[in-house]
Amino acid sequence: MVSRLVSAAVIGLQTATVQVEVDLRPGLPAFAVVGLPDAAVQESRERVRSGIVNQAFAVPARRIVANLAPADLRKSGPQYDLPMALAILAASGQLPAEAVRGVGAAGELALDGGLRPVPGILAMAEHASRSGWRRLVVPAAAATEARLAGGDCEIVAATGLRHAADLLTGRVAPDAPQDPPAAPPGPAGPDLADVRGQHAARRALEIAAAGDHSLLMIGPPGAGKTMLARRLPGILPPLSREEAVAITRIHSVAGLLDPGHPLVARRPFRAPHHSISVSGLVGGGRFPRPGEVTLSHLGVLFLDEVCAFAPSVLDALRQPLEHGVVDVARAMTTVRFPARPLLICAGNPCPCGFDGDPEGRCVCPPGRAEAYRSRLSGPVADRIDLRIDVPRLSRDELLGDGAAEASAAVARRVATARDAARGRGQAVPNARLGPEAVRAAAALDAAGMRLVGRAVDRLGLTARGFDRVLRVGRTVADLAGAERVGEEHLLEAIGLRAPAATEGA
Amino acid sequence: MRVRPEEAAGLAEVAFVLGRDLQRAARTAGGPGALWRAGGAGLAEALRLSGAAAAEARAARDAVDGARALRTVRDAGLEVIPMGDDRYPARLAEVFDPPFALIAQGWANVAAALAERPVVAVVGARRATPPARRFARGLAADLAGRGAVVVSGLALGIDAEAHAGALEAGGLTVAVLGCGAAAGYPRANAALRRRMGAEGAVCGEYWPSTPPAPWRFPARNRIVSGLSHAVVVVEAAGRSGALITADFALEQGRPVLAVPGWPWSEAAAGCNELIRAGAAVCTSAGDVVAEVPHGGWSAPGPGAPGGPVLEGLPRDVHDLLRGAPLRADEIAAALTADAAAVAAALAFLELEGLALRGDGQRWWAAPTRG
Repeated sequence: MVSRLVSAAVIGLQTATVQVEVDLRPGLPAFAVVGLPDAAVQESRERVRSGIVNQAFAVPARRIVANLAPADLRKSGPQYDLPMALAILAASGQLPAEAVRGVGAAGELALDGGLRPVPGILAMAEHASRSGWRRLVVPAAAATEARLAGGDCEIVAATGLRHAADLLTGRVAPDAPQDPPAAPPGPAGPDLADVRGQHAARRALEIAAAGDHSLLMIGPPGAGKTMLARRLPGILPPLSREEAVAITRIHSVAGLLDPGHPLVARRPFRAPHHSISVSGLVGGGRFPRPGEVTLSHLGVLFLDEVCAFAPSVLDALRQPLEHGVVDVARAMTTVRFPARPLLICAGNPCPCGFDGDPEGRCVCPPGRAEAYRSRLSGPVADRIDLRIDVPRLSRDELLGDGAAEASAAVARRVATARDAARGRGQAVPNARLGPEAVRAAAALDAAGMRLVGRAVDRLGLTARGFDRVLRVGRTVADLAGAERVGEEHLLEAIGLRAPAATEGA
Repeated sequence: MRVRPEEAAGLAEVAFVLGRDLQRAARTAGGPGALWRAGGAGLAEALRLSGAAAAEARAARDAVDGARALRTVRDAGLEVIPMGDDRYPARLAEVFDPPFALIAQGWANVAAALAERPVVAVVGARRATPPARRFARGLAADLAGRGAVVVSGLALGIDAEAHAGALEAGGLTVAVLGCGAAAGYPRANAALRRRMGAEGAVCGEYWPSTPPAPWRFPARNRIVSGLSHAVVVVEAAGRSGALITADFALEQGRPVLAVPGWPWSEAAAGCNELIRAGAAVCTSAGDVVAEVPHGGWSAPGPGAPGGPVLEGLPRDVHDLLRGAPLRADEIAAALTADAAAVAAALAFLELEGLALRGDGQRWWAAPTRG
């Protein structure tokens, strides 16, 4: 007889229903899996056999055929162990057929029949709710994550195959679901109070956080660029529940979740090394996996030594920076990942790092610093709103003991500024306002127009640069609690304008 | 000494093919014409070659057709101005080792002016500080406004600023290249190079496709100073190539002026050394006029309109920067002002042209126009 369960395949972040059918046929004892399984799925036969036996069930001495439908979708990973095992039990009468009808399952079997979590449980649970499945059996370790999906589907948290069977037949009552733990314990993120000096850079970080403006920091090695960037997530507004679930879904697929505290509570901070490939940054692989730009969705993507990244890698950032999504095309399918990080770049002023050093330690020949900086290619440079020089601290600043402001105080101002933007009816932060919207939000008076006009004349401000000055000026005004964008706000925005290299030196 | 254009073009191509300089060989042979026509033994002696190398050099020279070489130069939009030609600058012909021909573009723009007007070389380091660049541009503009022809080497940094300043003021300017006129070096100055060819002039002694090589640039500097009445070194470190130009100027009897710098500034060490050795101090175009007695100077044009009256924080910041270049954080600390307010004040000063953003992290007060 044939028994049937469902499971959900995760392709990128999208999901598809997979029917798991098992038929027992007369013949020599054997176990075959069909339906485009990959090597990991083929291996699951051994785990399923051992798991069934070691949980005191019997493997039927028949020819077992497991089919994963639809047959044209490539199946990967160990998540089909549990549905196949349950289907075998149901097909051989060890489990009533009624108990598995309309039930979904996903999980990896240990040889002793225990259940191990698999990546992507949250996406599968959401799929189960959307598809109207009655119950979804998941490894107990991933139950908290599965329950984040909400919806009508009952999450059955099983520790092993026997436990799953007992829960499905009603022989044991499910444990009461625990409330998801609140904020994970452990140290909070790094705090701005640790940063000495660098007042100009701190101010730029605050503006970046308040308006979601991308930022480029230029400075010699050891100036503290990375230290500053790491403190940016701590001053961004706290995550809303939807944002937290969106990040959790991505991190679940990538297998990055903390099993104890699946709900991501902090904005991610990703700092890929400059040797990263295009696939590593924007996502890829035969079964497309999210790249760094997706893993930092709604968080901070920090590109240190940005001039050392391969130009092709930086060019690949064009689509995510523009549209907030990445489309990864593969032979079988095209997958779309969300990708809306706040981009922070840091670079040395020249290959040796000391260009413009007051003590003249730069050893680069003339022209090399310019050539080096020009490697910050068009698409990325075009989307950087703020540029700030991060100088190395002088001895006095290094040894001084002036208490610096803590992240919490900065975060409050950032939240107020974002509230001001929302108060104007803005659905997006200032950095993502279109040309029309920004002209409406940052209407200039006569003095402001004169000022920007002078910037166009004197500094060669381009049309794109003009819009950018308006956006940043709007954010500066929001931070100051000002209704209108005034001259002092525009001046600060002009001072922070993007690299001259992009505006044709 | 008269040199025929075919000979001059032919020799330039031979120098290119052999990858060496023929100036000394021409002197040894008794002139470019003699070198061009010399027999095998004479050529070998002039080139100080023997055996296979001499035979090779002779084969290379004999393979070059003077008339065809001249056509090639003209087809590239260039002209050959051999020694003895009316258009060959008389001042250049006087110096030791003048080039036997200039291969030039736009020479008609400047030939007469080089003879009738004051000619000033404005040179300096490629890696120059922002205020020195600004000063070079302003100085060249003022000199051009007073009727001078500005000569420089079309390198990055000070040279490029000098040419750009003269062009901005609507004046004449000549670039002397250390490579072929069609080599397109340095690439960063391509736009300036095109403008120079149209509105000023670009010249050099090398065959058009000669690639840049380190030894050719010092040789080029003797032409820069040789064309000029005086040489101004705007900013030069202790070992800058601009000092070679100053040395040639001294040998050639041209006055040298140097823009003084702080004693602790490495970037100005060469200039200060020149002043110690007797160079005149240059802080404005007036200093150059005083050094070069010439009937061609015209009265200075109307001065630049005065800047705005500064008050409040921008004035304090500007006063502070006039003392020394500072980082934004240092300014904020010195004035106990808010980082945001200092950023706004600096942007205001930059807009008004009173402050410059340095390559590194520091801000500089802009020099006032001389």
